[in-house]
Amino acid sequence: MSRRAVIAGVGHTAFGKLAGRTAWELEAEAAAGAVADAGLEPADVDGLLTDPGPAQGILDGITPHFLRLGAQLGLAPDFAGSELLGGAGSVAIVERAALAVEAGLCSVCLCVYGDSALSSPGSYGYGRGDEAAFGFFGAVGLHALAARRHLHRYGTRPEQLGAVAVAARAHAARTPHAQLRQPITIDDYLDSEPVVEPLRRLDCCLVSDGAAAVVVTTAERARDLGRPAARILGHAQAHRLATYTSPEHFETLPAARCGPRALARAGLGVADVDVALLYDCFTIVVLLQLEDYGFCKKGESGAFVEGGRIGPGGSLPLNPSGGLLAEGYGGGMLHVIEAVRQLRGEAEGRQVPDAEVALVSGHGLGMNTHATLVLGR
Amino acid sequence: MAGAPPLPRPDPLTRPFWEACRRRELVVSRCEACGHAFLPPGPCCPRCWSRRLAWRRASGRGRVWSFAVYRRTYDPALPAPYVVALVELEEGARLVSNLVGCAPEAARVDLPVRVRFDEVGELVLPRFEPAPGEGERP
Repeated sequence: MSRRAVIAGVGHTAFGKLAGRTAWELEAEAAAGAVADAGLEPADVDGLLTDPGPAQGILDGITPHFLRLGAQLGLAPDFAGSELLGGAGSVAIVERAALAVEAGLCSVCLCVYGDSALSSPGSYGYGRGDEAAFGFFGAVGLHALAARRHLHRYGTRPEQLGAVAVAARAHAARTPHAQLRQPITIDDYLDSEPVVEPLRRLDCCLVSDGAAAVVVTTAERARDLGRPAARILGHAQAHRLATYTSPEHFETLPAARCGPRALARAGLGVADVDVALLYDCFTIVVLLQLEDYGFCKKGESGAFVEGGRIGPGGSLPLNPSGGLLAEGYGGGMLHVIEAVRQLRGEAEGRQVPDAEVALVSGHGLGMNTHATLVLGR
Repeated sequence: MAGAPPLPRPDPLTRPFWEACRRRELVVSRCEACGHAFLPPGPCCPRCWSRRLAWRRASGRGRVWSFAVYRRTYDPALPAPYVVALVELEEGARLVSNLVGCAPEAARVDLPVRVRFDEVGELVLPRFEPAPGEGERP
């Protein structure tokens, strides 16, 4: 099994307002960082997969994102592509890289996310097709429908959504590169401006300029490089390619199908997860995933996140670098990177003791797409 | 009214729906093979793939399955606050629309609603208001 895929290098730029720097430049910086971190040279890269952020677009005219980035990096890879799964894209390209590496299609696959969303206003306020006539704009409106349903059906309270936001900031306070390091209280959360009720500003993830990249290679290659690598123990995708008017939408995520499958591939259960890196574009998505992955029963996530359970030192440390809510909007790739850092023991002031198993998720495109990675030391 | 809101662009699949709205009728796409009623319309039944689809007039009655209160204005033609509602019709199909005719604070899940038709630019949009007797409670 020497071709078992591992993540051998990680790199990212600063996240926040990086005016005057193009997404391409940020992606090149993150890519160089990841390759150097793996102990490799640019000439070693023979695979390129990209997950362009919402402001970038998968196509520039007729030029796909991976082609333009690959040309700028001077690559001639044996395997290349761009992913179209929205917020599930970063996790999905790492999965695709693992499959390619294990199949022998390439040996060193660079996976890159990047965007300049904060310097390109309007990326997230998009109307939703014909429904824009009714004022149905942005990802926030869609997730507000899910949140309202959860509040109604399970008696979930706003303070419980707030507990997710408070935990994210508490984690970010220990993360030097996080965009928002100021801790907040539940009262701060309750006082924050309503955006699309029941969601407040503090329920919503950051918008960021920044890029993040990882290198996927074989366990054998990684051993020769002498850098600790994270093993890819399991992975899965599940999607629900339906409109939000379909009966199942808003109550369960496709995570309910791919979470158990990814864990089963790894020969593990949810109880084995030491650190969870759950895609957190909105607080409600964290609650839904805790249920759908099986960390708690359906409808019980509100109580689960109270009392510090998901915060620093909690029994299920969740997004120890702050996640999309506080670290920065890294498309999901920052979640992958934090998992690797935790498993390498390189998370410094926020290290989860003895972290051996990390679960990473990606969620996107109107709650339609989902992807899961189970990583190990 | 600050300019026109973003309006649907009817295509061959959706045009019958918007034409029905112009006649003040709410219609749903119904599969003649399996009976599934759904919106928005598509090229086949998403449940059984039959292409034997018919437009059926709906009663216009339904309930709020979920809703979102927009406190932020995204388009000057649609100033906040307003309520986007996911309405479940009696026929089983759901659609995204607005809850109108009551304050945002009076919106609730399961609120019985009925359709009304509002002219907006070139189109007539189906919106929903509380069913008679379901108005704002003191």
